[in-house]
Amino acid sequence: MSTSEIALMAHLMRRAGFTATRDELETYVAGGYEARVEQLLNPGDPEVIPDDIIRRVHFSLDEGPDGAAAQWMYRMITTKNPLEEKITLFWHSLFATAYSKTNNSRSILNQIEMFRRFSLGSFRDLLVELSKDPAMIFWLDNNDNHNGKVNENYGRELLELFALGIGTYTENDVKDAARAFTGWTLGNVDYMAVKANKDSFSPYGRIAWHFEYRPDDHDDGEKTFMGETGRFNGEDIVDIIARQPAAARFVSTRLFQFFAADQVDEQGEKVIEQMIQSYFDSGYEIRSVLRTLFNSDFFKSEAARFARVKAPVELVIGVIRQAGSYREPNLGIEGVSSFSYYMGQGIMRPPSVEGWHEGEEWIESGALLERVNFVAQELGNTSLPGIKRIIERVGAENGGTLSPIEFVERCLDVMGPIEVEDETKEVLVSHVARRGDIDLRDESVHDESTKRAGELLSLIGSTREFQMA
Amino acid sequence: MSTQTTTARENLNYTQTIGMIAAGGRYQAGRGFLGPYSIATSSDGRIFVVNRGASRVCICDLEENFIGAFADGPGSGDGQLNQPTDSAFDSRDRLYITDEALHRITIFDSQGTFLGKWGEKGDAPGQINGPSGIAFDSEDNAYIVDQHNHRIQKFTSEGELITHWGGMGDGPGQFNMPWGVTVDSQDNVWVADWRNDRIQKFTKDGEFVSSFGESGEGDGQFNRPAGVAVDSEGYIYVGDWGNERVQLFTPEGKYLDKSRGQATLTKWTEQFMDSNPDERDTRAIANMYPTLPDHLNDPYRASSQTEPYFWEPVAVHIDAGDRLYVTESRRHRFQIFERA
Repeated sequence: MSTSEIALMAHLMRRAGFTATRDELETYVAGGYEARVEQLLNPGDPEVIPDDIIRRVHFSLDEGPDGAAAQWMYRMITTKNPLEEKITLFWHSLFATAYSKTNNSRSILNQIEMFRRFSLGSFRDLLVELSKDPAMIFWLDNNDNHNGKVNENYGRELLELFALGIGTYTENDVKDAARAFTGWTLGNVDYMAVKANKDSFSPYGRIAWHFEYRPDDHDDGEKTFMGETGRFNGEDIVDIIARQPAAARFVSTRLFQFFAADQVDEQGEKVIEQMIQSYFDSGYEIRSVLRTLFNSDFFKSEAARFARVKAPVELVIGVIRQAGSYREPNLGIEGVSSFSYYMGQGIMRPPSVEGWHEGEEWIESGALLERVNFVAQELGNTSLPGIKRIIERVGAENGGTLSPIEFVERCLDVMGPIEVEDETKEVLVSHVARRGDIDLRDESVHDESTKRAGELLSLIGSTREFQMA
Repeated sequence: MSTQTTTARENLNYTQTIGMIAAGGRYQAGRGFLGPYSIATSSDGRIFVVNRGASRVCICDLEENFIGAFADGPGSGDGQLNQPTDSAFDSRDRLYITDEALHRITIFDSQGTFLGKWGEKGDAPGQINGPSGIAFDSEDNAYIVDQHNHRIQKFTSEGELITHWGGMGDGPGQFNMPWGVTVDSQDNVWVADWRNDRIQKFTKDGEFVSSFGESGEGDGQFNRPAGVAVDSEGYIYVGDWGNERVQLFTPEGKYLDKSRGQATLTKWTEQFMDSNPDERDTRAIANMYPTLPDHLNDPYRASSQTEPYFWEPVAVHIDAGDRLYVTESRRHRFQIFERA
């Protein structure tokens, strides 16, 4: 098993998942890269913590945004299908719906679960479900979109932010799309709107929402949308959207930027053209589009590696998965979701309908401090099973006695493999060298050696390279 | 919902709801509940509601008078609660409350004065890991569900271990994360064997007698039963937590009736509505039993959308008048039924 194969698989798992342990990487490499891509694209049993166990430990975890985020995080931490959660996070960012207006975490969790069910299937089907999603309806005011009194908010964002992109449609397209979605609302809409607008949890707590179609409030008149004319309803609008080249380009580009590279260069443009072809060849299937991306030479190239700043959720979940913590319900999990929020990415708390601004904007001074502190705390905790395993693997070389440079290189290898700049490596080595060689097998110095290993892992976690995906 | 049959007094008959959500998060004062987890009734008929969300105990009565509250929380000091789970009065009107996070039992008198505490975390006999249910027999011995050790421990009311039984498994007398416990008038011990989806019956010395129930959503089946109670005639009530319902059984364990709950407004919530007419008026025209799409129609999600239904019925309690109290942690209230 070559180092380059391990490095490539680690890259795939950072992007299509939330980072993998060295033991996992070796298992995946043994099966081959393309086979692993297929496993990720065709998820089986996720083997997550059973919901009843979580609810037994946590009182009403899905009541508020941090708890609901934590409930999802348990799934991200323990799932055997990391792409299923990663792509769901992508949709949550693209179709950003926030607690701040809805005041209904359960309904946003229901939306997340809908994303998961439709995440890798037809983009058309996903857009239909999105249009019927009660949290989205309330978030973008479609409950105020009536026959004869149109509210264009959802119709506009569907075209601009969710499916086509600005410059690909006309103002009339917006108006008639909005007319087509009149009558798409919530059950008990008046009561639900009053409660949400007042943030009222009386008398008996929140009531989650469901979709309701009101034919008496639907504008059944003739509409013209993207050059086609008919008495369109909402599903007709989505059908037309899904077959637009602009939709294929929009979703392919957004997927490319999330999974491959923030900026699209000439080589990236060629990959996006292939993704667009897969979109149409497969009947708008996201799974096929991603297969094309993950198997592209561009994605697999060394130039693509460590080229994106990890989003806070990626960083937090990745570190926890490596450290092996939170594998069982733990009341501290709500603090973990708060950490992610302090780093700038609160699940269920996107700053606006545009979602989060990704890339280098994740790294501003306050957020960077939070990132480094969190990583150091987890990776430096040598009582955690994942950290113990890293140290065990590092100590398996040279009878457990390692020079400072061997120790640093082994740690970088087992944790990634991570390639750091020479200057960074020198700093790490000089830190270790202050106390000489390290012996990870000798029982008499075990505690001291373990402590030194934890310190080094924490330092590696603070490097620029570790903060990149 | 309850249905009438020809058999006398073998149906669940809804009588009233008490409660509403209290304001103020975990640090609250005033009327209302937050995450009620257990109910116990004192000899004078007052109702003591243990709140997990607020880590406090509220006192009210059947006339819906809010009498007061005690136990400041969350905390670990004397008289404080952190993750309170179940409660029971002994014969001297002393209230015992289990605390899953503190691994101990806290004792108050019926005026809310702290009397003492006992228990420590561990798996040795007498130690406890995540105490859940608690119940007393006629001799004031306490039966405590030792959740993570998958066993029942029997103590004196002063906390001295008498015996214990169980262990992880699904055989007779074994448990998988048990939750609720009750003692009937014959001093038999009934345990809600939560993750085995069954109710087990034991003698007061821990000898296995019988069990009933299996996994499922059908009549007589369970999905993680959390609570069990037995009335003065031996009828058995099970809080079928995962199915969001209560089931009634004969003393032999034969299924009789079930209810998903049918909560109505209480005196407290009526007063809230009077001062919030926008909510009152829009609620009045709402369909409180909506028809739901399949993906939102499992018991948990249906209860999250159907306000009258039980949502997380974590405990069932029978008072001296054989009334059934169903405590719903997610709706911050309890519904009362009688066998009719």
